[in-house]
Order: sequence, then structure tokens, then C-alpha cells
Amino acid sequence: MEYFEIFIAGIFINNILLAQFLGNCPFLGTSKKMETAVGMAMAVIFVLVMAGMITWIVDTYLLKALDVEYLRTVSFILVIASLVQFVEMFLKKSIPALYAGLGIFLPLITTNCAVMGACLLNISKEYSFLSALVSSFSYAVGFGLALVLFAGLRERINLARVPKPLQDTSIGLITAGMIALTFMSFKGMV
Amino acid sequence: MAQSLAKEFTKGLWAEIPPFRLVLGLCPTLAVTKSVENGIGMGVATTFVLVFANLLVSLLRNVIPSKVRIACYVVIIATFVTIVELVMQAYTYELFLKLGIFIPLIVVNCIVLGRAEAFASKNGPVLSIADGLGIGIGFTLSLAALGAVREIIGAGTITIWGGTPVFEMVNIFPGYNPFAFMVEAPGAFIALGLMLAAMNLIGSK
Amino acid sequence: MREMISMIVVLTALTAVSGGLLAGIKSGTENRIEEQIFKFQLAPAMNDIFGEVENEPAKEQFQIEYEGMIYKFYPAKLEDGSTAVAFETKGKGGYGGDVGLMVGINIDNDQIVAARVTTHSETPGLGARAKDDPEFVTQFTDKSMDNNLNLKKNGGEIDAMSGATITSTAVSLAAVQAQNLYKKLKPEILKQIK
Repeated sequence: MEYFEIFIAGIFINNILLAQFLGNCPFLGTSKKMETAVGMAMAVIFVLVMAGMITWIVDTYLLKALDVEYLRTVSFILVIASLVQFVEMFLKKSIPALYAGLGIFLPLITTNCAVMGACLLNISKEYSFLSALVSSFSYAVGFGLALVLFAGLRERINLARVPKPLQDTSIGLITAGMIALTFMSFKGMV
Repeated sequence: MAQSLAKEFTKGLWAEIPPFRLVLGLCPTLAVTKSVENGIGMGVATTFVLVFANLLVSLLRNVIPSKVRIACYVVIIATFVTIVELVMQAYTYELFLKLGIFIPLIVVNCIVLGRAEAFASKNGPVLSIADGLGIGIGFTLSLAALGAVREIIGAGTITIWGGTPVFEMVNIFPGYNPFAFMVEAPGAFIALGLMLAAMNLIGSK
Repeated sequence: MREMISMIVVLTALTAVSGGLLAGIKSGTENRIEEQIFKFQLAPAMNDIFGEVENEPAKEQFQIEYEGMIYKFYPAKLEDGSTAVAFETKGKGGYGGDVGLMVGINIDNDQIVAARVTTHSETPGLGARAKDDPEFVTQFTDKSMDNNLNLKKNGGEIDAMSGATITSTAVSLAAVQAQNLYKKLKPEILKQIK
């Protein structure tokens, strides 16, 4: 039950993009086309879940054990950067088909604050390993959901006649605001 | 020299002002601008990291092997971010609590890594400092402006560093009822979108 | 090969310098950070709980280790002459994270003087409500060590805040934990207070 609550809350109530404001750069950057949005969403789910697990282990068995929690920021970003690099190399060699799909999005994920942010949130909420795993996954799914929804809307908006000053990023942000508004109604659901 | 120094500095204030012209660093922009005070705090913290990361990257630009450069930049940036984190905890604890995890997240602010990669790794230390300072101040101004818009509409007042509000909407429009939507998540997106449109409008003339 | 070595050397050196620098700054700011945490989180809560006190709880604080956790106790001389002690426990919350609760207990009659939420939650509206809504925590006032401080739906005596069941549960768990801790550690506390 507890895991189910974390899962639902992570996707809808505390949606990482629309309620926590993490990962907005790729949100606006890769949402112009549905295809790239889906690619980015898959890459984030993949990396975020792995990063969530590894940073939890690093934090519990290394940083807390050695009492050097002030090195958290440095070590987490190193973990994420090397993880992304590793995943990239691994996919290139072992699953070229998947690499062809996700490849170009992987380097972007290092500076995707959704990944780093979700890892930090897991720690600040003092989650157990399983809860951290569930919440990482739900944040990632929430990210994917919001991104794909948004990309769908943006494809439609591209066909509309938008006033010149509002074009592109501006109307994108306002659309995102509208989606965030609908997501607000999930508050108090759990 | 002096001319290019001034150029690198001022470009961050209008021509490449983040996050409006340089659409990067949106997460802190949207998340912390519930008030002017938070916006300025975040802006100053980011500026500090930008200037010192730029300086160090520029000094070490001939030592760092190009294959691991991103990892090196990230370590440098993370170090300064942690310094900011510790100093803020020690001296401005309340602000630190309000900004929360967005302080450690300066590490993944694409503006900082972007400047290190695009500018500091190719230019000398003095120019890099000017660039970092300019972009940082531009970012701070944007955050403060966005914070002001959201705080005035959403809370009806502007309060800086405790005490009495320096500005109250009711003094101008009697009976003004704060539009709390503006300080919530959707308000952030919409306020930034409209401000961007306003800038486009001014710029196109 | 040479390139490889230089890559490793540079990255290791950089990380080492960074670690050393941060360790220095950390030890320089440590005391000050602790003072700040006390001033902004614990002191206001304690002030709410005890009101005027005749001693300085911060200066007389002591620590007791229990089941691998270190708890800090702040003794207070109340205006009516009785002695009380305040300490912080954490209640496991669902998605909202843990909620910290400062509980003040009167040692003379083993009753709770008052309780206050201390943690700032990451999620606005969840932990925050327990903090801003004093009505919920006043339910703990004057309860004895034998009252069941769980929520009513869990067989206890505490009404949950409407629409914030998870935070309510976390707070009440923290209160129950405080009761247990106090019951177990009372002899030790008395020894330390003198």
C-alpha cells in the first residue's frame, strides 16, 4: 500500500515536471515532435531508475557511513555523469537498435535536473531502498507522461496561428502552465 | 581589451539574458520565483558559482584532457555549489530552507555548464569572469523580475528580508484580492511565458 | 596510453583537491550551521511549547544514545516551578517524507506540555499544514504517557487533519515514538538533569 501511494503520488501529485519544476530544459527542448519526446521519456526512465538505486546505495553505505554527507552534491553528479557515459557505451555495443533510438538523448541527461533532483528528493525524504526505487520509477513515468502529453499539444499548436511574440517557447510555457493546472486537481487524491 | 571586456559583460544583461534569450536554467527559474527575495537569493548563489567555475575552468583549460572535460567541469562546479550550500546554511539559513534542493541543483543548471563549455574553456580568465558575472547578473535580474510579478499578483505585496512589506497592492487598488494561482506551479509557467512574449514584442520593435 | 594516464591523474587530482577544500569549509562552518538549525527550527518550536522559561535549554542540552540513534534533550524550568524536557522525534510519512515533531514533557507529572512540528517539508501543503495548523498539534497537549496517541482510525484518540491523513499519521507516529522514548529513557533523563 505504501509503495502504491508513493507510485501514484510520484506520477500525478508531485509530478516532477509540473509540480516540482525539475527537468524543464529538456521538457521544452525535446517536446516539439512526438518522436523525440518519446525517445527522451524512455531514456529518462532508464537512467533515472538506475541513478536512483545507485545514489541511494552510495549515500547510505558511503556518505552516511563515513559521515561525509557534505560531499553529496559532488558524488551524486559524478555518479550520474559516469552512469550516463556507461549506459551510452553499453548500449552502443550490446543493443545497437536501442542506442540508435536513445543515443542522442543520453548526453543531455547528465544535466537533466530531473535525474539529480529525484535522487536528492529520495534522500531528503529518508526513503528505504525499495521506496526509493518505486519513487524513482514513478517520477520517471510522471516525467514521460507529462512530456508526451505536452508534445502532443505542441504538435497541434504548431498548426495554429499563434501571434508572433507568443510563438515557440512563449506559447510552450503557457501550454505547460495549463497542463500544470490540470495536474493540480490531483492534489489531495491520496 | 577593455572594449571586449565590456562586451562580454553586457551581453548577459540583454542580448543573451538568461532565461529569456538563452532558454536555459528553467528549473530554478520556475521553482524559486515565488517571491523577489527567493529570486535574488537564487540568482546571487548561481552568479557566485558561475564566476568561480568560469575562472577555474579557464585557468585549467590547457591542463584538462578534452575527453574527460565534462566530468572535470562538473567536479569544479559541484565544488563551488557545495561551498555555496555550506555558507548559506551557516549565514542565511532561512533562505537556504526556502530554496531547498534547488541549491544543490545549481550543479545541473545548464547555464553554468553551458558557460564553462562554450566560453570559459576557450577564453582567458579575465574575460571568463566578465562573462560569468554578466550572465549571472542577468539571470539574477530575470529571477527578481519574475519573482516580483508573481509576488505582486499572487500575494499582493513585496517583502524583502522580513519586516514590513515594501510594496502593497492595496495601496494602489483598494480592495485588491491576491490571485494565489500566480504563486502556484501553473502560475510560474504562465508568468514566464507572458514575460517572454513581452520581451519578444519589445525586441521586435 | 599517455592520454589515459593524464585523464586519470587530472580527474583524481581535481576530485582530491575538491574533497579537501570542502572538508576545510565544512569544519569551518559546522558550529555555525548547528547554531542556525537550532535558532530557526528548534528554538521557535521550543518557545511555542514552553513559553517563558527560567533557564537556557540550549546551553543545558544533553544527548542520550538509544538504539543507535542520538537524541538531544533540552531541559526547561517552567514558570510554575516544574521541570520539563523537550526532544525531537521523526514520524515516517508516505510520499511527504518524514515529519519532525518536538515534544515537551513535564517530568513532574509525566504529561505532554505541548508538541510542535519542526520539519519544513519539500512538498508545499503537506508537512506545511501540520506546521501552520496549530489546532491539530494542540490535541497532544496535557496527554499523559498512557494515552494512545495514534489516529482514531488506527485505534487511538487523535483526530486527523481533513485531507492530510498521511501527514497526520506521521505526526501521531512521532508522538507515540516520543512517549515510548520518554518511558524508556526517563531514569537516564533524570540523572542528566540533576
